[in-house]
This record gives sequence, structure tokens and C-alpha cells, in this order.
Amino acid sequence: MAKIELDDVSLTFTVRQNRKVTLKEYLLRGLFLQSRNPRVAVHALSHLNLSAGDGDRIGVIGHNGAGKSTLLKLLAGVYPPTAGTRDVQGKICSLFDIALGFEHDASGWDNIRYRSYLLGETPRTVKKKMSAIAEFSELGDFLNIPVRYYSSGMLVRLAFSISTAVEPEVLLIDEVLGAGDLAFQIKAKQRMREMMASARLMVLVTHEIPTLEQICNRAIWLQHGSVMMDGKPDDVVAAYKASVNAPQAAPHVGGGVDGDGPAAELKSAA
Amino acid sequence: MLAHLKAVWTFRYFWMSLVRMDLRSRYRRSVLGIGWSVLHPIAMSGVFCLVFSQIMDIKSADWEPYGYAAAWRGYAAFLLTGMAVWEFIRNSTAMGCQALLANEAYIRQCPLPYGIYPLRTVMGTGIHFVISMVVVLILVSILKGTPSVLGMLWAVLPVMVLLFFFCWAMATLSAFATVYFHDTAHLVEVGSQLFFFLTPIMYTRKQMGQLSFLADINPVNLFLELIRTPLVFGTPAEPAVYLQGVALTAAAVGLAAGTIGWLQKKVIFQL
Repeated sequence: MAKIELDDVSLTFTVRQNRKVTLKEYLLRGLFLQSRNPRVAVHALSHLNLSAGDGDRIGVIGHNGAGKSTLLKLLAGVYPPTAGTRDVQGKICSLFDIALGFEHDASGWDNIRYRSYLLGETPRTVKKKMSAIAEFSELGDFLNIPVRYYSSGMLVRLAFSISTAVEPEVLLIDEVLGAGDLAFQIKAKQRMREMMASARLMVLVTHEIPTLEQICNRAIWLQHGSVMMDGKPDDVVAAYKASVNAPQAAPHVGGGVDGDGPAAELKSAA
Repeated sequence: MLAHLKAVWTFRYFWMSLVRMDLRSRYRRSVLGIGWSVLHPIAMSGVFCLVFSQIMDIKSADWEPYGYAAAWRGYAAFLLTGMAVWEFIRNSTAMGCQALLANEAYIRQCPLPYGIYPLRTVMGTGIHFVISMVVVLILVSILKGTPSVLGMLWAVLPVMVLLFFFCWAMATLSAFATVYFHDTAHLVEVGSQLFFFLTPIMYTRKQMGQLSFLADINPVNLFLELIRTPLVFGTPAEPAVYLQGVALTAAAVGLAAGTIGWLQKKVIFQL
């Protein structure tokens, strides 16, 4: 059984305007000088409630910086909620940031192993999947050389092939449909469709409205970190489209500075 | 904490394969390969031995009762053992600083127990420690002229396991500290250099004279004593020292586990 239960979840990033904190800043903080490098709170998600179970195919839409990717990372367990509770049951497969985390000096074969172990496989189960992963990636003899020499497209191919070689219960996808060249994209799309069909529960973040309408049976519209609307894809998409045409006010980031969209967006995309 | 260790064990294939890769890539394109970690402690001790046996007053009366034919032989055995232990602790703490920062990509992708990343570092330094200990055993046997030192292994092996956990804890602490305060790496580097001279590695506690109290409050000295006394002097350390070693390790592990428990939900926002 797969289940997602978010109860009043909030996620607030505390960032500094400048990443670097100087010694002066350390020593003088809060003494008598106003900090020139204040902490800024970015409310990526605020008071989010979501419950989903077997059979749900959820599509998440919203503007850049609305908190879509952050929501996925929270569901995957990468970000812990700063308030509220998160309960996700079932084996999770997440397809985002997949091109990260390769050991550049190791060969393609070795990286297949590391990545699979990271996803919780054992040497026995990996052995069975190795050839299937290699075949799907179509990298052939390139798998014998260190991934340092791969092109970015090849890296994505390899990452996608490994990440999708599992049978997940909870599938979390962040618009990775544009992976590799045209031929691979078609193949990848096919593979994703199969996974979406077999997963018990899926959450898809996308800007492609037609894809969403085709695949999902439920849609969520996020704005400034809260749910604007949750319901049938047709209704939500219609409301979302209507709002896009209407003018938007910039979200408030808070913490003493004038917030802007890009700041929030930067963090949720990072 | 037990749940954390169990989770670390669940992902053993992951970190074990990374440790194997670290070892391979460290000596990639090197002619001598892993021979470097054999050569390093020997070369260092050789130089120290050459210089310090001239500068310092090494009396044969200090070493002959322990079965060394000449004073320099005893001093060399003393130095070799000390260097091996010191290098393990120092390298684990210093290289541990990068443990979380270097593995950021994994942390951002998959929620694994945080103990895994310092463990990756300490497994690497630990393997070098084991290699250099084997070298030390062989050299001490040669210096003593008999392989009697092998009879002391029972007193040393448990301490090596204890030391491993101590180093894992140290690496964990320095890893978390570095994320919050990037200067930690430099502080550790400078600090360990100072510490080296405040620890009886090159000289015995007796030779430290008035400063010998520094050795008594020095946690590193505990492990030095526990490993050196049986190997170099041929008698196991006092039971009280063993107890102190266990207590120190327990404290360090407790601190590290507490740090992970405290920061595991916060550290990702600082990376």
C-alpha cells in the first residue's frame, strides 16, 4: 500500500543575502551594528495539507518558484518539513536531479552499481539488472570508460536508465521528459508511461498541460507555497490558465527585505 | 542510535563500493600504488629517528630492559607505532571535514543516514591504518630481533576497533562543524600541527618534563598508550587505561550521535 499524508506542512529556508559570512559578522552579530547580511526567511511551502493513496496520479502545476520542486523533495524525504508532519509509505522512486551524484573517475558500469546501491539494491539484484540498464542506455562500450568523459546527454541517459530500472510504489517526477536526444526522448517517454502505469501512486510536476491532462486523474495548483486548488485536472487547469492571463502580484519573501519571485525560485530549484 | 547504525548497515553495499573506489582512485596512475601508504610512515619515522636521536638524549638504559639491542632501535619502534596511531586520528578528523560537503549530491538525492558519509572517509583512513600497523608489527619484530610482539596482538586488536569508532565519531563531528563553519578545515589543520607537538609521539611522557601533565589530559595519548605499551614495551597497558579508552570512545560516539540527531533535519539547508 502506498500513501502520502502531509499534515499542515511548512518549509522555510533561511538564507543569507551573501552566502559568505565574515568573521566581523560572526563577532558583531546582534551587538550594536545592524547586520548588513541579514537572514532572510523564504517560505517555500506554507501550511500544506495533502493526502493521497493507491491509484492517485497527481499532477502539480504552478508558476516558477511556486514550490513544486520543493514539494517533491519534501515528499522524497530530502527536505524535512520545518513544521507539520510528513508521512510517506511505500518504496519511493524519485526522478529529479538525476544527473547529480556520479563518481566521475569511475566507469559507467561502476556508477550503475553505486547508484543502484544508493537506491537500496543489493549486489544480487543489481547483477540481474545490469544488462537491462546498459541496454536501455545504449551507451555500449562507453560504459567501460570513466563518466568524466561522457557528454551531458550521455550522463542523463545513464542516470535515467538506472533510476527507472526499479519498480517503485511511489513515483515522484520532476519534468525530466526532455532527456537526451530525440530518439532517447521517445524511448524515455515510453518508459515513463510504463512506470506511471505500474506505480501505485504518482506525483508529477510539469508545465506540459496536455501531458498532465492525459496521465493524471488529479491536479494540484500551487502558488507561493500553498495549494490554490486541488481537484479534477480539467477544472484545475482551466482555473490555472485563467489566472495566468490575469496580472500577478510578486510573492512576499519576508524577513525584512523586499522579496521577489526569483529568490524563492532559486532556492526551490537548487 | 541503534536504528541509525542499522540504517547504515542496510546501505552497506553503497558505502563499501565507494570506499573501494576511493582506494582505487587515490592511487590511480601511481607506480607504487598502495605501497605509498606503507612507505609513508616508514619514511617519516626514518627521518624523525635520524634527526631526533641526534638532538635528544636517548639513553640505552631506557630501552635495553625492553629487549632492544640498541637505544635507537627502541626509539624507532616507539616512533613508528606512535606515528601510525597519530596519522589515523589526524587524517580521519581532517579528511572528515569534507565528508558532508563532498557528498552533497547524494544527500540532495536520497535521504540516507548521515553516519554513512564520515564512515566513507574513516573506512579509507582505517584501511591505511591497518596496513601501516602490519608494517609496524613487522618492523618492530625486526628491531627487537624476535617476533614476540605478535603475542601481544590480543591486547592491541580490540583497541584498534575502539580507535576506529573514535575516529568515526571525530570525522562525524568535524564534518558537521565544517558545514556550519567552513573554517573548521583550516582550524583542524593548524590545530593538529600544534597538537602533534603537545602529544608524546616523538618523545616519551617522561621526556616532556614539566609539560608531562599535557600528556595526562590528552585524549590522543590514551590510544597511544594503549597501543604502544604492548607493542613497544611488551606488556599490556593498565586496566584503568583501557577503561578510560572505552569511556573516551563512548563519550565521542555519544557526542557524534547526538550531533546527528540534533542536526539531521537542519543540515541540508546549510549545504
